Amino acid sequence: MVETILDYLEQAGREPDGGVRFVDRAERDTWFGWGEVRERALGVCGGLQELGIRRGDRAALVFPTGIDFFDAFWGTLLAGAVPVPLYPPVRLGRMEEYQHRTSRMLQVTGARLVLTDARVRRILGEAVAAVRPPLGCRTAEEVRGHAGDHPGEPVRPDSSDLGLIQFSSGTTVDPKPVALSHRALVAQTEIIRSFWRDEPGFRHSGVSWLPLYHDMGLIGCILPSVARDSAITLLGPELFVARPALWLRAISRWKASVSPAPNFAYGLCLSRVTDADMEGVDLSGWRHALTGAEAVTPSVARAFCERFARWGFRPEALTPVYGLSEASLAVTFSDLHRPFHSVRVDRESLAGEGLAREAADGREIVSVGRPVPGFELEIRDEAGRVLLPGHVGRVWAKGPSLMDGYLDAPEATARALRDGWLDTGDLGFLRGGELYLTGRAKDVVILRGRNHAPDEIERAVEGLPGVRVGCVVAASWLPDPPDTAESERLALFVETARRATPDQIESIPERCREAVLAATGLDVDEVVVLDPGTLPRTSSGKLRRREALRLWLAGELAPPEPVTPLRLAGTMARSGLAYARMRWGRE
Amino acid sequence: MNETMILEGIAEVVRQRLDWQGPLTMEMRLIEDLRLDSVRLLTLAAEVENRFRVFLDEADEAGIQTVADLVAVVRRKLGG
Repeated sequence: MVETILDYLEQAGREPDGGVRFVDRAERDTWFGWGEVRERALGVCGGLQELGIRRGDRAALVFPTGIDFFDAFWGTLLAGAVPVPLYPPVRLGRMEEYQHRTSRMLQVTGARLVLTDARVRRILGEAVAAVRPPLGCRTAEEVRGHAGDHPGEPVRPDSSDLGLIQFSSGTTVDPKPVALSHRALVAQTEIIRSFWRDEPGFRHSGVSWLPLYHDMGLIGCILPSVARDSAITLLGPELFVARPALWLRAISRWKASVSPAPNFAYGLCLSRVTDADMEGVDLSGWRHALTGAEAVTPSVARAFCERFARWGFRPEALTPVYGLSEASLAVTFSDLHRPFHSVRVDRESLAGEGLAREAADGREIVSVGRPVPGFELEIRDEAGRVLLPGHVGRVWAKGPSLMDGYLDAPEATARALRDGWLDTGDLGFLRGGELYLTGRAKDVVILRGRNHAPDEIERAVEGLPGVRVGCVVAASWLPDPPDTAESERLALFVETARRATPDQIESIPERCREAVLAATGLDVDEVVVLDPGTLPRTSSGKLRRREALRLWLAGELAPPEPVTPLRLAGTMARSGLAYARMRWGRE
Repeated sequence: MNETMILEGIAEVVRQRLDWQGPLTMEMRLIEDLRLDSVRLLTLAAEVENRFRVFLDEADEAGIQTVADLVAVVRRKLGG
């Protein structure tokens, strides 16, 4: 009987193909069987105990993808402590911002120890100094050295003990530490492994480049592989980004049947993988290409299926899924044996009455499937009443792998968890028992009494000359005090493309207004043109819409030129229009 | 390898891998002037390492803001 995720590790290591493989930039691989992973972790466990780590202590883990992470993760658990994976610094990125965020995360989780590698430690200095964890900042190697002749004595946690603290990649608020019990982690692992049924002569195995500080990488890929005593091949996220082809090549070479990634990764393959990169690659064994963690763009999904069919990719492999850190991970899975599936719904009905009415020229929304085993879904209105299928409301989920709560944040927990149900903060509707997501409740743009998903507005300007793909944010706010009868105002934050010419940049505000108006019927009040990289993002790269708005309203999100003649002209034109409307109103 | 050669090598990387069309000068800032986001910064780091066969570590990278900073680090790594 499995009660904690440590039981998985204890039982693993019997199958010859059970273990983890790391692929480096030259596509060389290093292999560790699960038995070896456990041996190494026991050494770290011994060292941690010598250092004075106690049951229930929290240890922050800051590692790039590699065996060190496994040593520290399992070693911490074996010592009875709770791992808190944090993200390592972005290469060549802004160090100050990174250090600030890291020390905040160390603070809110009350980490007694920071485990890292020698390279990262050199730059963690300031972040750690600001927090002063009592047991310091050490490498996994050092900790193992501390054990001396004392082998670790594994602690047996209860299933109700915390097994992991992970940061939700909240797009709307500051990242919150999500506290997950062993029970929740085991329940989620069992759910995921239930989808990977082996057949005589065939064992599922995986490839992942997803970061290990993120739920889809750690809970979605690592835990099921240990539980199944099967193989998982890992590439660092930085390697994938530098050479997306390495992901597809690893899937082919190691005959992986399962590999998940967010929507953007499929897009990156379309733009950056060349035919030459694909020489000798066979994707026919990739049974389940899960796509989750962000909205699935139907055009990207279709283009990926079409382009990579040449190398054996099967359209039914592409499987939209939905989940969130607060549920450990997965909440819905779409049918594994059917191509992805979408509906087109009337924009007016969706925005006005919150009704999903089919319309041939409507907005296309991809199904993320049905609740995973043990999960239930309800769509509720703001008053908490359950809505009928086809009605848009907040998505609530109930299941065996929900978080205990946000760490040391009872108020935030009480807002998210009610009577065993989790308010996901996402908006959607049910149709034929399947979930369709329409946006995030807190990100909703409310204009003239209607709800609009910001991504629909953002998508309208994608592809305009000079606009950086995927770097547009729409947000609405209520001026205080309200200055017009039309209370909420709409702003569009647009990053310029790398190769944008001055002429293109100058034309962005006007073109954006036209495009949004044409696609959604909404009049943008402000188009704010920004340098690339200005918009705030979460650790997993999602745009933080409310934060962008907040920074801008506070005057902290600076456009490249505060006032261009064109922007001024635009403002004047709109004032003129408002004046004209006012006069017509009187007549 | 002298500074000019390193700059030319980086310019080639930036043109081929990051689709940068304009000239590349020492005083340009990676994020603001070359308009590199985190994904592109990663690409730049990886490609520079490949080209010059050096290995940058995070401590070196921490101080890099301009093309000149990057050139200096590569030069140091090459033992120049």
